[in-house]
Amino acid sequence: MKVLSPLDSAAEVDLLVDAGAAEFYCGLLDERWHERYPVMSMNRRPAGKGHFRTFSSLREAVMRAHDRGAQVYFTLNEHYYTAEQYEILWYYIDGALEAGIDAFIVTDFGLIASLHARQYRVALHCSTGATVFNRRSVDFFKELGVVNITLPRHLSVPELRSLSAHVSGVDLTVFILNSRCVNVDGFCTFQHGLAGREIPPMYRNACMLPFQVSGFRMQDCAQPQALPQEACQVRRQKLWERVHVDDHPCGACALYDLYRMGIGSVKIVGRGNPLERKQKDVAFISTLIERARCDDGDRAGFLLHARDLYIQTYERNCRAFMCYYPELL
Amino acid sequence: MEQALYISRLQQLDYIRDDFTRLYFGAEFCERLIPDPAEALRVAEFAHGRGLALTLMTPYVTDSGLDRLSPVLDALRDEQMPVEVVFNDWGVLDLLRHDYPEFVPVMGRLLNKTKRGPRIMNIIDKLPGSCRNYFESCVLSVGEACDFLKKRAVYRVEFDNQLQGIRLENTDPGIAKSLYVPYVFVSTTRYCLSAGCDDYGRMDFVGVQPCSRECRDYVFQLDNPVMRVPLLRRGNAVFYVNDRMPDCLAGSNFDRIVVQPEMPV
Repeated sequence: MKVLSPLDSAAEVDLLVDAGAAEFYCGLLDERWHERYPVMSMNRRPAGKGHFRTFSSLREAVMRAHDRGAQVYFTLNEHYYTAEQYEILWYYIDGALEAGIDAFIVTDFGLIASLHARQYRVALHCSTGATVFNRRSVDFFKELGVVNITLPRHLSVPELRSLSAHVSGVDLTVFILNSRCVNVDGFCTFQHGLAGREIPPMYRNACMLPFQVSGFRMQDCAQPQALPQEACQVRRQKLWERVHVDDHPCGACALYDLYRMGIGSVKIVGRGNPLERKQKDVAFISTLIERARCDDGDRAGFLLHARDLYIQTYERNCRAFMCYYPELL
Repeated sequence: MEQALYISRLQQLDYIRDDFTRLYFGAEFCERLIPDPAEALRVAEFAHGRGLALTLMTPYVTDSGLDRLSPVLDALRDEQMPVEVVFNDWGVLDLLRHDYPEFVPVMGRLLNKTKRGPRIMNIIDKLPGSCRNYFESCVLSVGEACDFLKKRAVYRVEFDNQLQGIRLENTDPGIAKSLYVPYVFVSTTRYCLSAGCDDYGRMDFVGVQPCSRECRDYVFQLDNPVMRVPLLRRGNAVFYVNDRMPDCLAGSNFDRIVVQPEMPV
């Protein structure tokens, strides 16, 4: 099982490989995109930090990664692109290929079809945005030449076990750390990056906003019946405000099971995070993968160790609403 | 223009009117709400008796959901009625192509990923034309995407009536388009906040958990000043209402209106 780490610059490669990363994902945005699409991204990350700026720096990162035996994947995972965006997309695709990247991470079936139509011979990975929840969906993308699929966050450990048991010929990647989104990424049509400067960063995305919630009971009522604000049904709806803030959500307890299912990679979210945070995250997960590999038969011991290491590393307690796989708690 | 009624429960058959010529039935967002075969057959009989064409809605599904869907498709196949199936999961399209080729596949609005968050209306007039074009257009503007669908026998795609408007003039006329009104889908989750919402003990649980179909009992309205319209959460899906029909309806871009008398959960 490999650690798939975010990567923002060539200077990070060696340090993150030293921490345990074997694969990287990254994006590149420059003025050519910004000038035409200032409020939009090409790769699910808003403008600003978290992108390579030049193809020469990307090429340097790929060379360093390859020298260390690691691979670099280039994100082109926006949910859809329109026809007029393709001229500029080909510029990024050709540039990334010349830089030597090992695969594209994609979501949009239009882009996959366009790459096929142009007979590009490049490894394709499915982003979580492709919403592959089941074995037939794996088959669908396998038929399209996809060799790696990042599964949605919203699959439980038993569901991952069932799915991985039915899959062959495609590597599976699952989320393990940071940004536990409450919406299914590939089905969420909120557009990030639209908030004005007056909106605090923690509320920039629509799903994080503090909403005034009104609840109504519908059953057996001619008219909907308003629920009091203190009703647990209403209070529970406010939970999402607390979840999406990137307060170190973690799924490390599942590594013992994920390792034994044959999951190929675990993904750490964090393009744009400081290098020190990335190093800490990669080292934390790498240490636990090694422990999962060695702890054969001692699942309970692994779970205790994973929780202790989380508390020690991040100086936070395990919290149910920050847990990627709360069914393990 | 074909008029279709979309219901998610048998009781909603009362919404039928004479101008409807098609009936949509099923679940779009949650595999637990996939109707059982008996329910699907009752709706099929109703549609047949009224001379209505039938469209089965299907959600995104796990392996368990796939196993739940197959008996429904088997039952409808045995009736030998022409049935459309709206797929919101590429795995369901794979299932239809290989195991149920007699059904007509239609790409659902979850796989048509146009941006629908209402906050876009705060800035849409300030955006350069390139951005505005993106938000109003869709993947069907890409010829290869249309060819991809047609190669897989998909000749219809479903659209929401998003606030910023819809541009379809550059899309393939060989792919028919349906427009859903008035509820616009925005987002969905499997961490359903209706599941177990009656239970104080599960207040802080965010994950895939059992439910008692509390989505049928409760609706929640979410208001924040930066949203132009209230968001409505029912079960594991979020919607808003848009009563204004799009300008492009005057052309021949859409050939079907799908009326949702209630939030389709």
